[in-house]
Amino acid sequence: MDQTRNQPSAGKFWSWFIPVGRQVGGWAFALNRVTAIGLTFYLFLHLAVLSLLAKGPDGYNGFLALTENPIIKFGEWAVVAAVFLHGLNGIRIILTSFGVGVTRQKQLFYGFTVVAVLIILIFTIRMY
Amino acid sequence: MSQSTSSYISGPRPGETTWIWLIKIVTGPLLILVLMLHLIVNHYIGSTPTGLMTYTDIVRYYQNPIIPAIEILFLITVVTHSLIGLRGIILDMNPSRQVLSVVTWLFSLLGVFSVVYGIWLALTIASKGG
Repeated sequence: MDQTRNQPSAGKFWSWFIPVGRQVGGWAFALNRVTAIGLTFYLFLHLAVLSLLAKGPDGYNGFLALTENPIIKFGEWAVVAAVFLHGLNGIRIILTSFGVGVTRQKQLFYGFTVVAVLIILIFTIRMY
Repeated sequence: MSQSTSSYISGPRPGETTWIWLIKIVTGPLLILVLMLHLIVNHYIGSTPTGLMTYTDIVRYYQNPIIPAIEILFLITVVTHSLIGLRGIILDMNPSRQVLSVVTWLFSLLGVFSVVYGIWLALTIASKGG
């Protein structure tokens, strides 16, 4: 067995963003990491924006008007999409971590991704 | 396929204790449940035409004491999960022991600050209704 395969390195981080030659497991890994980084960035941005609530109705309701901006709205949609892709892919990781479905990881990934896409569609219809 | 099945199973990375890994794994499903509630509340029950909550909606919503409690639990869970996860991603880049130590301290401080700030904010919003 190749002993270096799972050794961490900075180069492997950048390879997540290169789609060439990637197998399903690699896509699942990259999807999990990229959505994690995006969601973490959003979390702290969200916490900062919510400080407007402490300033009273004028500050917060003024911000709400911004949510109709197509770019902000797309960002909000991307967050919802990332939440479900990351969350449902995460369930697959938990299941396999405890020995459930280890030999059926591809099927689990496809199945959870389909569920995530359906939920994202519902939110898309609701938001637009 | 020469790769053994066990090498596909997720587990603690080098530099990540089993406890830290387990916290990340346990907070994940908890987050999905609370986040679903959070998204539905914020996209469906607000009084704006799109369903988002206005300032008045949020203050009214926070008058039920269970709501700030749930939101604070949500905040602690999401901050813990995200910072442990981000630290795990940094571990994938094989940082030196010194860099990892700085990252751990920074993330711990950021986590504590975020939770304290969030608790203050939740209690401030709840107090606006009085």
